[in-house]
Amino acid sequence: MYKARVLENGELTSSIYSLVLSAEDSLLANFLPGQFVKIKVSSGYDPLLPRPFTVHAIYDSAFEILYQVVGRGTKAMSRLKPGDEVEFFGPLGKPFPRIEGSYLVSAGGVGVAGFGYLCQGLKPEFSLPAKLLYGARTSAQLVKLDFFSTLLPVEVATDDGSLGLKGTVADLLLAELNKQSYQAILACGPKPMLKALAELGRTYGVKIFLVLETLLACGTGYCLGCAVPSRRGGYFKLCVDGPTFDAEEIDLEFLR
Amino acid sequence: MNFYVKIGDFELRSPLLLASGTWGLGEKEISGLEYISALITKGVSKDPMPGNPPPRLAEAPCGLINSIGLENPGVETFLKEYLPRIKKLGPKVIVNLHGESIEDFCYLAERFENADVSGIELNISCPNVRKGGIHFSESAKDVFELVNEVRKRFSKLLIVKLSPRSNVFDIAFACEEAGADALTVANTYPALAVVSLKPFKVLLGGLSGPAIKPLTLRLVYELSQKVKLPIIASGGVMTGRDVVEYLACGATAVQVGTALLIDPLGIKKIYKEFEELYQELEWGS
Ligand SMILES: Cc1cc2nc3c(=O)[nH]c(=O)nc-3n(C[C@H](O)[C@H](O)[C@H](O)COP(=O)(O)OP(=O)(O)OC[C@H]3O[C@@H](n4cnc5c(N)ncnc54)[C@H](O)[C@@H]3O)c2cc1C
Ligand SMILES: Cc1cc2nc3c(=O)[nH]c(=O)nc-3n(C[C@H](O)[C@H](O)[C@H](O)COP(=O)(O)O)c2cc1C
Ligand code: FES
Repeated sequence: MYKARVLENGELTSSIYSLVLSAEDSLLANFLPGQFVKIKVSSGYDPLLPRPFTVHAIYDSAFEILYQVVGRGTKAMSRLKPGDEVEFFGPLGKPFPRIEGSYLVSAGGVGVAGFGYLCQGLKPEFSLPAKLLYGARTSAQLVKLDFFSTLLPVEVATDDGSLGLKGTVADLLLAELNKQSYQAILACGPKPMLKALAELGRTYGVKIFLVLETLLACGTGYCLGCAVPSRRGGYFKLCVDGPTFDAEEIDLEFLR
Repeated sequence: MNFYVKIGDFELRSPLLLASGTWGLGEKEISGLEYISALITKGVSKDPMPGNPPPRLAEAPCGLINSIGLENPGVETFLKEYLPRIKKLGPKVIVNLHGESIEDFCYLAERFENADVSGIELNISCPNVRKGGIHFSESAKDVFELVNEVRKRFSKLLIVKLSPRSNVFDIAFACEEAGADALTVANTYPALAVVSLKPFKVLLGGLSGPAIKPLTLRLVYELSQKVKLPIIASGGVMTGRDVVEYLACGATAVQVGTALLIDPLGIKKIYKEFEELYQELEWGS
């Protein structure tokens, strides 16, 4: 693992936090949009496994992740203070596919985390998406809106209608596809959202790439623990073949 | 450092081996291989095995529960596509074998007798389908017969990997009598994780990691006083101190497993810690 210092760690909403870690520029130069890191959340053996997080943004000698507090590991992370030392490893996984032509990114909840680095446009070989479609339960849960709004057009939806369209990301996408055609959609969020988007993509004949999650042990392709069923039988390894997959290649039962 | 031991004709200049199933099959780069004596492959079976559907993992206090289901490409593809790549990594190669009958194991042993590998490690923590699925490791008689038959067909290093779910002493004696060269002590511990309560869903798998170290350490300690076969310890090695403890308790060498899953740069760290302690203790001088 590499050592890093906590530069910032704070709450963005009641459950989503931002953590900024120092790292050498020579290491950060290897990071590509869509890749992730694993972070050791305890100094001892419990919890044992480092937790995976996509890289949200890259700065000079630092990177940021956005994380939702869901259990013991992320709870422990929320207590980190500036100056604390943590261990991490990365970059891991495959970057996003390079898409030629106009494409959309769509995110539900903390799924927006992984698109920040892509939208920063720091890697010229990755073209910028045309738009971000972004949904959450309430407006308070829509994090980093200012950050994204300065980088690209953003359309939002909330379940309670407190901001933007009252509805879901799927509703936003449906409206968008009825207006205009796109080469592809990159999507990250909860499973039901991904399933809805995959089905929309099929109906409209648009390629959909899904950013998936499983429990990981190693994140480095060693343990075969992160199986994602392939539509053609057998399994992908999420941590090396993904986390981004062409929706046509995976068995959508996985999203149930 | 002057660490040097021999298991049969197999020479080790580092006490560390990489455990089966915890470094893939050489698809991905592994850092620190210059510090290990041998790579033990993921279990290889006669026919390809797809592995279990997800979930395959659960976390336990200080431990990991896995149920990978022995996903592997089968012996022919392994020999053709994987072994040449693994050989290129540098260290000696020991192939971990998975069989469901004595015939399976014999077939595999014959395939590897003439292959470019240094040895085999028999995983006996699996059901013997000819005996109604009871695990090989539950019957000393079956293990004797298995090792005896494999020995007739395999002249290189023959290791048997014990299951902690067995009468390890009887099994160890059976291995010794049947002509094994060494024992790996031990595989993962049968464990269960409740994945969800509603609907009720469990994961049955093997527990590894620091949680099992005291248990396996005791097995190594007691076995080493009873059997003459060299013991290769496997269970929760995370630090150089753990390596030294296993050696002090009677192991000849140790395997690193779960530790590498957690820290891909861990081999060097463990070796350096070991080296320092080894010198401090004035072992080997
Ligand atoms: C490649 C990848 C990238 C990720 N990126 C981000 C990110 O940018 N931001 C973010 O907030 N989260 C991300 N996650 C999810 C994050 O890793 C988990 O939420 C985190 O590991 C939970 O740790 P914990 O100790 O807090 O929860 P635990 O105490 O381990 O678990 C709490 C509950 O969450 C479930 N759970 C844990 N991990 C996962 C998972 N990966 N998928 C589904 N359920 C899970 C557990 O089964 C349990 O019910 C990513 C996951 C992967 C695989
Ligand atoms: C993900 C995973 C896969 C494993 N696969 C195998 C296997 O195919 N054959 C085998 O004999 N042991 C297998 N093992 C057991 C390890 O080789 C090792 O004996 C065990 O994990 C205990 O050591 P550790 O605590 O250092 O990991 C596996 C362990 C893990 C964690
Ligand atoms: S998490 Fe170990 S192979 Fe993917």
